Amino acid sequence: MSEKVLLVDDEQDFLEIMSERIQARGMTVKTADSADKALAMLENESFDAIVMDFKMPGMDGIQALKNIKTQKPELQIILLTGYATVEKTVEAMKIGATDLLEKPADLEALTATIQKAKAEKMLLVEKKTEEKIKDILQRFGG
Amino acid sequence: MPNHNLSHDREGIRFFGTLSAAVTHDMKNFLAIINENAGLLGDLAARARNGPVPVDPQKACLISEKISKQVERADAMIKQFNRFSHSMDHAQESVDMEEMVYLVAGLTERIIRHHDVTLTVMPGPVPCRIQAHRFDLLHLIFRAVEMTCEMLDNAPEDTQKQVTVNFGSNPLVSEICFLVDTEAASGWDTLFDDPKDRSMLELVNMHVKKTVTGRGFCLCSGRKTQ
Repeated sequence: MSEKVLLVDDEQDFLEIMSERIQARGMTVKTADSADKALAMLENESFDAIVMDFKMPGMDGIQALKNIKTQKPELQIILLTGYATVEKTVEAMKIGATDLLEKPADLEALTATIQKAKAEKMLLVEKKTEEKIKDILQRFGG
Repeated sequence: MPNHNLSHDREGIRFFGTLSAAVTHDMKNFLAIINENAGLLGDLAARARNGPVPVDPQKACLISEKISKQVERADAMIKQFNRFSHSMDHAQESVDMEEMVYLVAGLTERIIRHHDVTLTVMPGPVPCRIQAHRFDLLHLIFRAVEMTCEMLDNAPEDTQKQVTVNFGSNPLVSEICFLVDTEAASGWDTLFDDPKDRSMLELVNMHVKKTVTGRGFCLCSGRKTQ
């Protein structure tokens, strides 16, 4: 099954071209031009990964990352940014970002990161399911 | 005499750094879009090479237009940044304030957008000039824009955050006014209270006057009369 990606960036031109190129590589892409819109979309739809600009109007990148991770802990977030300081990168990774790529990014590297992110998400979901089953068995199996 | 000390120099460097960071971030975005368009052309060429689908000339034209648009945006940004960088070269001189406001507005577009604010500059009714160092004046205008945006930060989410900059009509007094469209802005009472901000006003021999509507302030030439 193909990877389902949510692309978040405030540059409309970037969203259009990037989604076209990622889709041409067999992935399903949806777009949002702000972190707030991305969060609203996550309430009704499931994605394998989010590719998100770090600096956008409205919600700050770190705050957006925290909110998404609270809402969907297993969701993988790849940050794409014009420039990030070492401090911001470390902070983002500590909160749970999967990776941070610098713009202009190499598309093959980005799609490889998305594929890796999907595999990582599936592992997390699997682990969560196993834990749930274990819990049920413990409660009902004695 | 203005208090031109180390702290002021540091503020000037901070201002330079803030604008440089915003501009280079924009440049990275332009490059990213150019990069993806070039990549898309490569994808189309590869598809045409490997299969029966030729490159669609209309699509190629559209991509070329998109690349040109980003080059134009980047060129305009670099020109403005270059003018800003050379503002340090000038001694004190008669400076066109309107021109300086447009320059700050162009360079801070990204910063203003991050506050969810829309900034509109209205052309002045009379020439608005002041005797000052360009860099100091740009710094003061930037600080005024920054303060206005910060005052709107706590406004309710559905507030229309519109800032209008206009110029006074008295040819004897140079005046730049920063006006907001809402009552939700806060912090009017502490405007330019910080010693660093006051020193910035002194450097260009200007003072702050609150507007009668209570929804803005003006930077006026000359010292405040008590």
